[in-house]
Amino acid sequence: MVKYIIRRFLEMILTLFLIATATFFLLEAVPGDPLTQRADKLQPQSRERLYERYGLDKPVLERYLLTMEGLARGDFGESFVYAGQTVGGLIQSRLPVSARLGLQQMILGVGVGLLLGILAAMKRGTLIDYLVVGLSVLLISIPHLIFGLMLQKIFAGTLRILPTIGWPSGDELWFGGWKYTILPTLTGCFSYIAIYARLLKTSMLDVVNQDYVLTAESKGLSRGAVIRRHILRNSFIPVMTQLPMSVAMCITGSFFIESIFSIPGIGQYYVTAVNNQDLSIVMGETVLLSLLYIVVLFITDILYAVVDPRISMPGAGK
Amino acid sequence: MQAEKFIIRGYSGEEANRITRPTISYWKDAWRRLKRNPVAMASLAVLVLMAVMVVFGPSFRGMDYVTMNFSTKNKVPDSTFWFGTDNMGRDLFSRIWVGARASILIALVATALKMVVGTVYGAVMAHFGGWVDDLMMRIIEVINSVPSLLVTILIMMVLGNNMFALLVALSITAWCNTARQTRGMIKQLRESEYVYAAEVLGAGPMRVIFKHYVPNMISILILDASTAIPGFIFSEAGLSFLGIGLKAPEISLGVLISMGQQTMDFYPYQLIFPCAVLCVIVMAFNLLGDGLRNALDPRLRQ
Repeated sequence: MVKYIIRRFLEMILTLFLIATATFFLLEAVPGDPLTQRADKLQPQSRERLYERYGLDKPVLERYLLTMEGLARGDFGESFVYAGQTVGGLIQSRLPVSARLGLQQMILGVGVGLLLGILAAMKRGTLIDYLVVGLSVLLISIPHLIFGLMLQKIFAGTLRILPTIGWPSGDELWFGGWKYTILPTLTGCFSYIAIYARLLKTSMLDVVNQDYVLTAESKGLSRGAVIRRHILRNSFIPVMTQLPMSVAMCITGSFFIESIFSIPGIGQYYVTAVNNQDLSIVMGETVLLSLLYIVVLFITDILYAVVDPRISMPGAGK
Repeated sequence: MQAEKFIIRGYSGEEANRITRPTISYWKDAWRRLKRNPVAMASLAVLVLMAVMVVFGPSFRGMDYVTMNFSTKNKVPDSTFWFGTDNMGRDLFSRIWVGARASILIALVATALKMVVGTVYGAVMAHFGGWVDDLMMRIIEVINSVPSLLVTILIMMVLGNNMFALLVALSITAWCNTARQTRGMIKQLRESEYVYAAEVLGAGPMRVIFKHYVPNMISILILDASTAIPGFIFSEAGLSFLGIGLKAPEISLGVLISMGQQTMDFYPYQLIFPCAVLCVIVMAFNLLGDGLRNALDPRLRQ
């Protein structure tokens, strides 16, 4: 087990290195020069100084090595467009915002989704089942984007009961200012509801027909106990594998949701940086978001191996 | 007991061997199942209608949907402008179908790209095996360990905001899944008894490929495509909304939605119509995909 974890960990570092390298050279290929806009009106001398300050006077390979060294030290680079802004600083100010939004979405979405999934599986073939399945198809067919815009239009625009944009800050960063978070959270959570309801339902129906469920029932266990101790427990493995996908969804979802509701999180900043051609920020944030995703993949893999003994661990030996 | 004391009456040997019911091929059977599914058939009908509309819709009202005309600015829907006009006086009804045409076209081409690249890559992996397989699988793993939208956005930054860039950017991560499925399927088929039997009977590689591999793969690929198409339509709309995909003068559903958002407080219909069309298209594809899954996947049959 330890050997497996170490191997996966080393693979993770290698993957991250490859991603950073690929991102660096991709951004190198972006047409134009990130400082053109700022340096355009400057004297030649100050222009040179500016290029020197950002290290853009050095050859590509040297800059690559410098960037990599910076990443290894945890320095993700400084903005080309806004002087003094660093990715590190942004993480401190913006990550909590996105993290709160993401957590609220997931807790609400996964919670409701799993409940609906259990309900649909237990009441298979009834109206409730059809309603849940229908609802999940409906929810899956409407993108974040449209949900967000419609909620904004209805609750903030027409009814005027919730704020259109904004996000709690200061003391209320993690707790409080709920009215600002309602619409963004709702926007994000629908897709989790749809996916988890469907997933848990199919997974539970698979398990219901297993022999051990029959055994448990014939032992005289109550229905509730069979569901809790045998069916649910075993149907959670496929659900768990969706964890990385959910985090990816949360990251990409944050791009849209934060743009629609003007939430000062990392997603909105990424989009702004892309539109401003702020290459160093894009580079830093790409590596950062990939790191987040890879860590989740890593944890899922290990959890998966821990929970399901049937999965053999390559490298663990017999 | 003597055999000659018994005579066969009523039917001949030939009749007994006759197959009275028509033989049903896999595809006929799948089509029959699909036909019995009202939801899937309704989605198919909606998609056919949409296909007709994106081809003929823009010229339907005979209006100019490109040139700005400020005398008809922001008109609410009426009998002349069925979906109203946008903030530059252009007929929204025509523009929506042009936009839907672009969105659907992008989705179809990106899906085709994904399919071709994915199957070839997967087949190469399965065929060579060994270190080639390992290496190619590693590449897929690296691509898959970045949220796909990030890669798409990076590619868009490099190639700029145009149709070609969008196609490349959308399909660059999407083929991984197809490649994995193809690889798995071919490996499984190669080990199967009936392929072995065919080879023993002297079937050449071409016959094995076209008689056994392709028919087995095609249902998986159809399902893959049916989930990919709505995904691509989503991504296009999303990227264009963020200003990273296509940009106005070009028309796509994403561009129309992002234009509609700017005026949504005063002219909500400019946002609602493109959103509704997008949702209807995506939902029809999703529901048809569900129906196809039930019809094509033998494991889901009762």
